[in-house]
Amino acid sequence: MYGMKFSAKNIALCGILSALALGLSVLEGFFPLSLLIPLPGVKLGLANLVTLFALYKLGSRPALAILLTRCVLGALFAGNASALLFSLLGGLASMGVMIALRRTDKFSVFGVSLGGAAAHNVGQIAAAVIVLGDAAVIGYLPFLLFISLFTGALTGLVGSLLLRATAHPGVTTPEGGSCNG
Amino acid sequence: MPMRYSPPKYRPTLWDAVIIAVVIALGLAAAALFYGTAGRGGSAVVTVSIAGEVTERTALPQFDGEHVYTGNGYTLTVTAQSGKICVSHSDCPGQDCVHTGDISRIGQSIICLPAQIVIRLVGASSGDADVIVG
Repeated sequence: MYGMKFSAKNIALCGILSALALGLSVLEGFFPLSLLIPLPGVKLGLANLVTLFALYKLGSRPALAILLTRCVLGALFAGNASALLFSLLGGLASMGVMIALRRTDKFSVFGVSLGGAAAHNVGQIAAAVIVLGDAAVIGYLPFLLFISLFTGALTGLVGSLLLRATAHPGVTTPEGGSCNG
Repeated sequence: MPMRYSPPKYRPTLWDAVIIAVVIALGLAAAALFYGTAGRGGSAVVTVSIAGEVTERTALPQFDGEHVYTGNGYTLTVTAQSGKICVSHSDCPGQDCVHTGDISRIGQSIICLPAQIVIRLVGASSGDADVIVG
């Protein structure tokens, strides 16, 4: 069977990663990028780091599960139902692009992260269009996409370092087994 | 368990440049599509929509002064003077609308997401929005 081995260790890892993604979403609320750059929805995207890590280490299905958990619980904790739409559309778009890019095996961790960051913004703008019933927000898209090049590269850098540091077997498989890098 | 993919590539590859190019192209396309019909303020029309419904449509030169709009429980004060519009005050949490500053050209807009208020500058002959969804 391909994909993540359903060991207790891996299930626990998924739980920890979900909690981490939630924590990072809250943490980046303390770095209001929108003060520096007056664009609504501009953010560092720290939680995407977890998605990136899970995608490479555990596979696309666990990464998707962690993403959905983060989105649903995040919206629940924030007490904000419309945040769910933004979170989901952004996250699913990002996930889809990242899975596709990973599958081609042509792009580095940076490329996958850049694609994910850009797709995340497109998804959130789509959510804004739906909520507002007006396409005016699309005017922000060029600027958001430009910023996403930097935040995506940053996430890619940290992700690359993280994956390299955890490259030894034993992180997601029993010692001595084969692993996803 | 056999490896499904090769290990992650830690260093940027040449193909990553393709992604960057695509993102930039997408941004330029969105900008061209959206701001392509930019005209000077003289023929601009101000539209104010609240929760998707256009509540006001006035020619820019006649829009001078202070206007107060309420949406979703939030109140915005819009100030217009000599062809420039800005949100001078808002009680929304993010203040993105205030931080947007002045708009004066067709295609520009100020959006307050919590209040669901959109102030747009459109061409005199064009419709209210490029696309209405929902």
